[in-house]
Amino acid sequence: MSTKKTRSWYLERVSTGAMWLFLILAAALVVVPLVFMFTASAMPARDILRLPYPWIPDGFYWPNYWNGLKGPEDDFIFFRNALNSLIVAGSVAFFTVLLSSVTGYGLAKFKFKGRNLVFMLIMATMMIPFEAIMIPLYMVAMRMGLQDTYAGLILPFLANAFGVFLMRQYLITFPDEILDAARIDGAGELRIFGSIVLPSSGPAVATLAILAFRSQWDSLLWPLLVVQSDEMKTIPLYITRYMAETHSDEGIMMAVAVLASLPMIILFLTLSKYFVSKEGLTSATKG
Amino acid sequence: MRRKRGFSMERKKAMWGWIFVLPSLVFFSAFSFYPIINALIESFYNRNLLSLRPPRFVGWDNYTYLFRSRDFWLSVQNTAIFTVGTFVPLVVLSLMLAVCIMSITRLRRFFQLALYAPAVLSSVVAALIWLLIFDPRGLANQAMNALMGTYGVNYKWLSDTTMLRLSTIIVYFWKYVGYFTVLFVSGIGAIPQTLNEAALIDGANRWQLFWRITFPLLKPTTLLVSVMTMIQCLKTFSTQYLFTTAGAPTRPINVITLSIYNTAIKDYRIGRATAMSILLFLVMFVFTWLQLKVSRTEEVTFM
Repeated sequence: MSTKKTRSWYLERVSTGAMWLFLILAAALVVVPLVFMFTASAMPARDILRLPYPWIPDGFYWPNYWNGLKGPEDDFIFFRNALNSLIVAGSVAFFTVLLSSVTGYGLAKFKFKGRNLVFMLIMATMMIPFEAIMIPLYMVAMRMGLQDTYAGLILPFLANAFGVFLMRQYLITFPDEILDAARIDGAGELRIFGSIVLPSSGPAVATLAILAFRSQWDSLLWPLLVVQSDEMKTIPLYITRYMAETHSDEGIMMAVAVLASLPMIILFLTLSKYFVSKEGLTSATKG
Repeated sequence: MRRKRGFSMERKKAMWGWIFVLPSLVFFSAFSFYPIINALIESFYNRNLLSLRPPRFVGWDNYTYLFRSRDFWLSVQNTAIFTVGTFVPLVVLSLMLAVCIMSITRLRRFFQLALYAPAVLSSVVAALIWLLIFDPRGLANQAMNALMGTYGVNYKWLSDTTMLRLSTIIVYFWKYVGYFTVLFVSGIGAIPQTLNEAALIDGANRWQLFWRITFPLLKPTTLLVSVMTMIQCLKTFSTQYLFTTAGAPTRPINVITLSIYNTAIKDYRIGRATAMSILLFLVMFVFTWLQLKVSRTEEVTFM
């Protein structure tokens, strides 16, 4: 009995050690490219591709960041492009939340003929991947004169089936008594929605807003199709400009990468609970 | 009198229901339903983006062209290689990592955050970082040389067909491994702790604990994650686009979305591109339907 116990005790120790080793190794491998990005952004290009790679920068090499902001044509268009990204991602997040919660509320709390049909139709759009309709969508956008405009970048993403689903599920448990009490007090339906329903859907709204913001901040394919001028480019397109050039400076490229990631890093560090909430995870594939 | 009032209340509520639903319906019609119907129609026409002549009805020509085209089958093959090559290691390793995280008692949150960190970056930034790592003088060659005991060998990460495919898989794997680990962690966290304790009291070791309890209970989550990853991989675009933009050869990594993009934007062949889109849609429709089915059964199992 006692020998068996010690044997399993050793086995336990060895397996725990192996797990720690595996985790540490995996975490290190995953983090190394990030460390590379940050260190390389502070080095002159000739150091970045030196053999072996010098992991500690020799002081902070500011010209990378200065040139990254100045851009390939010295016109500081980075700021305009960053503003575009903020405008697009911000408005998509705002209007997606608004549309989804209004629709989710309507579907959750009002009985009307055809409600189930409407819900099924909206859910069916989840089965239409964006990649499959991007070319026809592009033709629609061209016909509506939306090329190279904010509207063209924003409008196609406002109707979000997952958002409607999330808000409907969230609001379906909202107590009817509160709504009826407000109605008896003479509040209009819009006021009930705006001052009672919406303020109490905080967590769902936050999850949805962050999801929408992230997927737009990351978006490459649609802006590639719709945007033509350098002024209307978003951050991902600003970066591709650097990649298309054959002799761009590696240090500047990494500095631009850091600059482009800063908003997301800050958002992640402050709101990480909404990043890794289960709803957020299951749905990010929809973006 | 009262009855009439109740009746009108009901009608009023129905009206408000429609008012709340209508704005979304307009957007869904314009940007989801209309494009997919339009795509179906366009795929039977030979529209050219630049040509002024009206598009001509060509029947199944676009489809038969694609089925005979070697480039199309190559892009199907590339997508299949990328999908299988990414999703199998991704699911297996993230499950292993999640089990390890849940087995240790300290630093759980630290490991989750460290593994998840790349998912915060945009895919463009991820591709940019790895482009420099895969440079002939970059970290990837240094690591491989150190590992294989060679000196100064160039492993051609961005030029050799196999290595280039592997490179795109590595980028994707790196970006999403933490994301799926966190998903599995929450799946494991949903398993009632009493089950594990009971098994431990009965003398089960960790290996048995995993194969007899954790894994069977995680099957729905694993299935869901697998289908999700497959759908994600089928849609892959950014890494391949950016690598080819930076000068890597297109053919080995010309996945279906990249092919659609190039056919429409570089060759101006809208009809052919939409026919490809419809085929992609059909494949993904099956997977998405599967995902919805699976996620529904998962709910039942865990609640």
